[in-house]
Amino acid sequence: MIGKLLKRRAKTGEAGSIVVEGARKATGGKGRTRIVMTMAVFFGIFATISGRLVYLGFQTPDMSGGPQSRVTASRPDIVDRNGEVLATDIKTASLFAEPRRIVDADEAIEKLSTVLPEIDYEQTYHKLKSGAGFVWLQRQLTPKQQSDIMQLGIPGFGFRTEKRRFYPSGETSSYIVGLTNIDNQGISGMEKYVDEQGLSDLQASGLAVAKDLKPVKLSIDLRVQHVVRDEIAAGLERYRAMGAGAVVLNVKTGEVVAMASVPDFDPNNPYNAQDKDRLNRMSAGLYEMGSTFKSFTSAMALDSGKATMASRFDASHPIRVGHQAIHDFHGKNRVLSLPEVFLYSSNIGSAREAELVGIEGHREFLHRLGLLDRMQTELPEVARPTEPKVWKQVNSFTIAFGHGVSTTPLQAAVGCAALMNGGFLMNPTFLIRTQAEAMAMARKVVADKTVEGMRYLYTLNAEKGSARNARVPGYRVGGKTGTAEKVINGRYSKELNFNTFVAAFPMDDPQYLVFTIADAPHPEKPGMTDVAAANAGVMAGNIIRRSAAMLGVKPDFSHENGATLVSYQ
Amino acid sequence: MFRTSDIVLIAVMVSAAALTYKTKREAEEQLAAVQKIHAQIRYEEDTIDLLKADWSLLTQPSRLQKLAELYKSQLELQPVSARQIVGIGDLPAKALDIEDILKGRQGGMADNSDKAPSGDRDPVVTGGIAQ
Repeated sequence: MIGKLLKRRAKTGEAGSIVVEGARKATGGKGRTRIVMTMAVFFGIFATISGRLVYLGFQTPDMSGGPQSRVTASRPDIVDRNGEVLATDIKTASLFAEPRRIVDADEAIEKLSTVLPEIDYEQTYHKLKSGAGFVWLQRQLTPKQQSDIMQLGIPGFGFRTEKRRFYPSGETSSYIVGLTNIDNQGISGMEKYVDEQGLSDLQASGLAVAKDLKPVKLSIDLRVQHVVRDEIAAGLERYRAMGAGAVVLNVKTGEVVAMASVPDFDPNNPYNAQDKDRLNRMSAGLYEMGSTFKSFTSAMALDSGKATMASRFDASHPIRVGHQAIHDFHGKNRVLSLPEVFLYSSNIGSAREAELVGIEGHREFLHRLGLLDRMQTELPEVARPTEPKVWKQVNSFTIAFGHGVSTTPLQAAVGCAALMNGGFLMNPTFLIRTQAEAMAMARKVVADKTVEGMRYLYTLNAEKGSARNARVPGYRVGGKTGTAEKVINGRYSKELNFNTFVAAFPMDDPQYLVFTIADAPHPEKPGMTDVAAANAGVMAGNIIRRSAAMLGVKPDFSHENGATLVSYQ
Repeated sequence: MFRTSDIVLIAVMVSAAALTYKTKREAEEQLAAVQKIHAQIRYEEDTIDLLKADWSLLTQPSRLQKLAELYKSQLELQPVSARQIVGIGDLPAKALDIEDILKGRQGGMADNSDKAPSGDRDPVVTGGIAQ
């Protein structure tokens, strides 16, 4: 530019116009040096500025943003069959401060206390004056609090969002829904199942976006689940039992409508979830089922074709095998018909039934009903049943009345359901399943005639036998009790029992099956008994009374009111 | 010296610069507005999630049961017993009084069992008393 300027001047000189050169020449030399000096000064200034810029550009800036947000993976909601939320992700914001950037700690705390009145003034003051790079002030704020604090505009405060799993139903569905760990990965129950279905892969690849995850719909009905949990919790207290549990099964589809076991834990604060007695007794507990197993023995005798309803079994004398003897609890000491064996819960009669079928046939039948194999279902906590390695005659006798093999209550319930629903064995499921889907994978295990016989026996037992306590007017309940001596350290205890109760309703076409257990219950009041009818049976009756209407079973009194029946004919 | 075309060009240039500036400014404003709305949507979504959780917490059967027990004396609510649940078919037939018999309306129900409903008459046979 300067060159141009000079050139121009030269041009004007050459043009031949009248120019007074003297004046220019007098100052010409000085002017040039001035220009050069000015240039040098400006160059120096700009060089310093750009040099400083380059220097600053190479500096690593002070990283004081606190720890990075923990990337917590999104999980789908878990809902019950009516869409009620059982588990959901909620976003919570946590407030942190960077004390180095706080201008006025007093003012900051004063402002903050307008939103968080419960904040500890002194402690917070020390935190803010500590000169540390990062301090947590308050974890898990609500969105309202967060926006209020943001409105305050205090410098040096910031938020980190964290995702937290929340279980609105708390203890009610704790064992079914399960738990997640701190990284939001399922560690038990259906949460773990969901992870195994590919969610963990999605999360690993970063594709698990909250919006794209559809809720997982369980077969559980929260209302019935509450009833079940409420009744067994009350039962646990009433009978001072070690544990109690119940399951409500839809016999037509194999769906588990409700299942609970106490003692349990609060999934929102699972500090005691790992305790020794916190065990899902229904699917992960192995027990000798006692007389409930006589359902299977009777069904087996009928299904083998070797016995009919009219068959008679000699229960007049105890059976002796070696030095062991099998007695009856409610001994009749006479020859009993097959329905009587069931009605009076005769151990001797049941053993005779098993004898009729034979050891191999007995074993095969229990395997056919899936009672001695590991159950296939979504829940990860499933125990493997135990049976004697070699079945001898005495094993077959004792197993006939439910001692000598251990299985899970849920499995026994599924086996009973097969005897009620027309002979179809279906794996229990905790997900929604239609009847058609269930039938597609069901296996026919017993003949229609056997099912008919078993329905009759259950109904009879609720009218005249031990299942009277579970009778609910209008709902045609049928059932069977089971009182087993509890095995403690490998020996049968004389004081403590393990009680079970199986009930199905309505008996003219069973739709639901309720299976309750009471582990080591005591008599409710002194002088009362502690057999299954007095505790497990009562719980089952209460569950049916409270939940039948919700399950859509229509009450029908025509069976109980003979006069009405006649007038309508 | 400046010619008219120069002035026009300068004017065009200046106005073009002004327009560009204005457009840019407006785009920035719009972008800021969009970001604000996005933030608001996120906030609303989070609030919806939270309120849903809150709702399910408030409608927990266990909570409702506790409340029902607590206010039992005021509300006088009782669980529905099985005898209170009936279908339309379980309703007893209307008792006949003397006027029905005089007008020959007894057992009228049985006549229209195979006809379409007419007037206010019930097409369903609910059982007869006078046969």
